Amino acid sequence: MASLDPRVNRLPKDQLQNALPKAPLDQFGTFEVFVQAREGKPFQHEGIVHAPNLEMAYLLAKEAFTRRFTCVSIYVTDTRHVHVSAMTEGNENAYDQIVEAQSDGKKESYEVYHLLKRGKQHIQVGNVDAGSPDEAMWLASQSLRGEKQVFNVWVIRASEIRFTSEEEKELWLTLPDKKFRDASAYKGGDKLKSFLEKMNP
Amino acid sequence: MNTEALKELLYKMADDQLILGHRNSEWTGFGPILEEDIAFSSMAQDKIGHSLALYTFLEELGEQDPDTVAFTRHASQFHNCTLVELPNGEYDFSLIRHFLYDTAEALRFESLRQSSFEPLAQVATKIRGELRYHTMHANTWVKQLGSATTESIHRLQKSLDYALPYALGIFEPSPLEHDIIKDGIFVGEEALKSQWMKKVEEVISQTKLRLPAWDTLTAMNGGRVGKHTEYLQPLLDEMSEVFKIDPTAEW
Repeated sequence: MASLDPRVNRLPKDQLQNALPKAPLDQFGTFEVFVQAREGKPFQHEGIVHAPNLEMAYLLAKEAFTRRFTCVSIYVTDTRHVHVSAMTEGNENAYDQIVEAQSDGKKESYEVYHLLKRGKQHIQVGNVDAGSPDEAMWLASQSLRGEKQVFNVWVIRASEIRFTSEEEKELWLTLPDKKFRDASAYKGGDKLKSFLEKMNP
Repeated sequence: MNTEALKELLYKMADDQLILGHRNSEWTGFGPILEEDIAFSSMAQDKIGHSLALYTFLEELGEQDPDTVAFTRHASQFHNCTLVELPNGEYDFSLIRHFLYDTAEALRFESLRQSSFEPLAQVATKIRGELRYHTMHANTWVKQLGSATTESIHRLQKSLDYALPYALGIFEPSPLEHDIIKDGIFVGEEALKSQWMKKVEEVISQTKLRLPAWDTLTAMNGGRVGKHTEYLQPLLDEMSEVFKIDPTAEW
């Protein structure tokens, strides 16, 4: 019997001939993924996953972002629920561009994130109770600004976030044992060296 | 403790995990979307890891080393249920198999946390987080596609109808079942099957899929005593290709 493994068979020829151009916008929407490396450390933005809804996004984010390095928790939110400030350059602080805003809306908790270096990741710095995203930005500028220059601020309504529950933290129990998923654990250099020694004694 | 009964349990569990781990790994690079490709491959790797842990217990009980056991036996010497050796087919079938098998696997290991064979109880406790993810993954996908579109519901239903008799083969009783239960090694296949049916009903009832009446189904047994489908031997030949060229190779 021929192999059933598609990696051995690869795609059948007729399928390649009938390939059609990809339809535009045929992907799922994006969700932002945040990872907590250790207890007590802040959550850090790590990237996106594509998914049809929040729960699926959580499911896919777990392996896409936390199958290698030790972590204790993740959370995800729809990209459309991330409210962003202007991005600043040079010595300009993003908070300087945030104007006072008040809201009569129902007070809800917002998570606040700072970008402290261009090209790095947004890191969670605290939370504020606000009636709107604009008010959350303004309150963050009053209470969470800190000493360091901030290039960009994000606020996300906590109720829009799919958090990891306490009991779900067991999802990462065996992660520290999975060194084999780390490229460094493969010791490619050592393998190459011993191969070369074998070839040229 | 009846060591033969224990070994038989370990063999069938390890063989299930190895064969399904290999089958699921065949999706690597071909998953429906990148994120799912990664998740499914990662779980396949977990399953191979579980099989290694169980083969290692067998070695300590006097059987051959894990590589020899995994790579040199003929299909008729494998004790996996036939469900896990069936070809992947389309993703709907692989997902349904993943759901049906992993539901049973998670319940089995949950019960084994109380096993009188201490090393098995420890492993069952240690890997509970991995199994939690595997069942969370299966349940979320089945709920998603089982309620999404006419096509997704139809395809999952077709795969479910096809897979169920094979899934019942997971619980093919062992002739040593009595000793396994009496010695407190495991609650036994019959008890596991009723827990599994309840869990499967619970998840399927949250979708637009239908479960046939259990008493209309006939279990596809035989796998546990080495009677396999035509699909197992080619899988084994492929899996052991490198080992057979060079048993000392590391890769």
